[in-house]
Amino acid sequence: MAEWFRRNRELAGFHNPTRALYQTVRELVENSLDATETYGILPTIYLRINIEDEQKSWVSVYAEDNGIGIPGAEIPNVFGRVFYSSKYKIKQHRGVFGLGLKMVVLYAQSTTNKPVYVRSAALKSDKIYEYQIMIDTNSNSPIILDRKEYPNKYRWHGTAVKVYLEGSWLAAKKRIEDYLKRTAIIAPYAEIAFKGPDMELWLKRRTTKLPPAPKEGLPHPKSVDVDTLKQMVAESRGMTLLEFLMESFDAVGEGTAKVFLEWAGFNPNMKVTAMTPEEMVKLVEKMKQYGGWRRPRSEWLSPVGAELLEIGAKAILGAEAVFAVTRKPESYGGHPFIVETAVAWGGQIPPSDKPVLLRYANKIPLLYDEGADVARKVVDEFNWQNYKVKFPASLAVIIHVCSTKIPYASAGKEAIAEVPEIEKEMRLALRDAAKKLRLYLSRKEKEMEMFNRYVSLAKYVDEIAHNLAITSRLDKDKLAKHLHKLIEMKIGLTVEELVKHTLSLSAAPQEAEEATAQ
Amino acid sequence: MTTRAEFLKRLESWGVKLAKDVLELKEPVMEIPARTLSNTIWDEKARMLKLGPEKMHRRFLDMKEARRFMQTVLMLRLIVEAIREDVYPTIRDLYYNGKHTISFKDPLSRVHRENTWDEQSESNAVIEDIEVATNVLREEMGVSADVKGKIVGPIVVRSQGYELDASKFGETALSLPVNVDGLEIVKVEAAYVLVVEKDAIFQRLVREKYWSQENAILVTAKGMPDRATRRFVRRLNEEYKLPVYVLTDGDPYGWYIYSVYKSGSIKLSYESERLATPDAKFLGLTATDIDAYKISDNYVIAANDRDVKRAQELLRYPWFQKPEWTREVNLFLKKKKKVEIEALSTHGLKFLHDYLKDKIRGKKFID
Repeated sequence: MAEWFRRNRELAGFHNPTRALYQTVRELVENSLDATETYGILPTIYLRINIEDEQKSWVSVYAEDNGIGIPGAEIPNVFGRVFYSSKYKIKQHRGVFGLGLKMVVLYAQSTTNKPVYVRSAALKSDKIYEYQIMIDTNSNSPIILDRKEYPNKYRWHGTAVKVYLEGSWLAAKKRIEDYLKRTAIIAPYAEIAFKGPDMELWLKRRTTKLPPAPKEGLPHPKSVDVDTLKQMVAESRGMTLLEFLMESFDAVGEGTAKVFLEWAGFNPNMKVTAMTPEEMVKLVEKMKQYGGWRRPRSEWLSPVGAELLEIGAKAILGAEAVFAVTRKPESYGGHPFIVETAVAWGGQIPPSDKPVLLRYANKIPLLYDEGADVARKVVDEFNWQNYKVKFPASLAVIIHVCSTKIPYASAGKEAIAEVPEIEKEMRLALRDAAKKLRLYLSRKEKEMEMFNRYVSLAKYVDEIAHNLAITSRLDKDKLAKHLHKLIEMKIGLTVEELVKHTLSLSAAPQEAEEATAQ
Repeated sequence: MTTRAEFLKRLESWGVKLAKDVLELKEPVMEIPARTLSNTIWDEKARMLKLGPEKMHRRFLDMKEARRFMQTVLMLRLIVEAIREDVYPTIRDLYYNGKHTISFKDPLSRVHRENTWDEQSESNAVIEDIEVATNVLREEMGVSADVKGKIVGPIVVRSQGYELDASKFGETALSLPVNVDGLEIVKVEAAYVLVVEKDAIFQRLVREKYWSQENAILVTAKGMPDRATRRFVRRLNEEYKLPVYVLTDGDPYGWYIYSVYKSGSIKLSYESERLATPDAKFLGLTATDIDAYKISDNYVIAANDRDVKRAQELLRYPWFQKPEWTREVNLFLKKKKKVEIEALSTHGLKFLHDYLKDKIRGKKFID
């Protein structure tokens, strides 16, 4: 087990103290968001990082949420038993196995030898439970160092976790800030209060609208891999292979299951737990290859939605205008996916030679490996000029892919692979959003034209008035005033009216043309 | 020095008119005679270029004209102030005095920065605009320019009380002053004036004492002549009845320089009466000279597109439409060959002198 952990440390993102701290924050925040928004609760998350021992680079990370909590008896398993998971039901979720949390605990204890502190109360629970837990790496089971329970006087629900780990705050600081802000963009309904050793961040809730929760669903036979299958099998004692397929997978009826098993060369009546590891591998391969499954369903996906993306991008990026598009579900290799994009322009976005790209997979911000991500390729190859964007420009692009199985480019899971169907959807989504941007910029151009005409004359007024005053010995201020008046007469608008015109651009036109686009 | 009071008045009243229009909420418009080819008239009788009646209207409320308007108003003030303060700036001084950055913060709080002018050509142009618009010459304003002209020869002048004998400058030369009208000519004992386009040739002729053998006054303006040099040549011709001969390279550029000395320029056609020397004659080099003086092919250069274009323009100028010039320019266009004065060395370095003497004594010049 210890070896397994060491082997997979890098996969999980714990290969150095900087990355480990970042990953810890990620896991805890993502769990908190999963425990709240998925269940219709507006997330409120408190995050604290303290330096515990500077010399040894020990920090503590505390995360508390107002989610559905964990039933008292389950807490040790959730934190202390690797491969224990309640997440293989196929809702689109942030974490993949719930494995990340275990990684945090394992890493923490292996660097500081301290337990993880957990306090939690499930919804409607009359008790609050507190534990100190470590993982026994030999038996892969939790070691409970302490356990307390006490009455839940104020009916609190949620989970609070504190871990002590070796982590580099200074090196991870920027990424953590970045991550929290990007999370706020895609989850503007969340309230996140962060306090670090030298930094405080308060990301306010911007809306009370939640994205629609993904529905529960059974996995599609094409989408499981060996580890998932192992888990599912472990939970299906007593079933035959035929029953197992019918009960555990989506849209697999008796007929389909029988035909498949015959084609794949399996005995439908064998006990599912009797399968050898090699047979399990073969089964997975056959399920992936089989062409007779029904198409995967997409109600399990939970895109954020254009409205929330626009709220988040405007609030965090300070953009002048945001145009978001959520595409219809598509699929690749049997896995449904949805691409959403938001194009944010102007305002406080600093101008740059290439668009700033913010990538998300299943609502998780992807901060590393941008160069390997297909989204970067799509954004760079996109013909922005066609949409009235000239670089350097104040432009940020958000690309969010939600799927039951995100195709990562590498084990690091920070970049999305170049899957043709996904690439195509990204291009189409960008095109749809950019069209709206173009309309906005054209309008702006026209309004700005008048304003620019004014400026091209007004900029000389002071100089002219000054010089004419000296030559003619007449009053400079009077001359300047009259010159301004002459300009207003020529343009046909007073300066006040001009300014009102130009500033009011951000508000009205977008709603108007969204209505007509319907 | 003459006072500039009356000129100051003219400049000020031009400015006052613009200011008063503004105060009456009338769009201020500057009426400036157009110094374009189409408004340049060839006066056959006077044998010089004159300015036509066309006027440009420079308006402030026109986006394309606003900058020029601002520049003109600025320059007007600089000149007016100079006269009021009794100083005599050069055009370069005015350029530097007026050059600064305008900074404007618009109602959206964006800042726009722009220089009043960037190149001296811009400030020079508005000075000329003011000259023609107010009918006050630069010299009358007291504004001077870089002087390029040099002379050597049997002439004595007096400047600021000092007597200067242009025949006693050895291998150096006497520089013409900015205000040639203020130069007193004491004595002239020359037979003719030889105007040379290029400084290198001028210096050769000085060193080889051509001027003293020929009793000639040598003049050069190192290329396209400035006003002072043109004025001086005219004075020599007008006041002392000296023949004026011009020597340039054998290409359209050189031929145009000759026409500027003789008939005036398009840009300064309003100054022709003071600056043009209608009696000037052209010695060479002509297109015909190439064969006539057997200049070898080694010294002949192929004409490029710019030369050809310029030649075609010359053909269109009314003051070039004389039979000899038409012949020369057409020959140039046909042969597409040009020569520099130095090409005469084909027959040895002394040949330049022989050439000049041959042309002058044999009256082999073009009008």
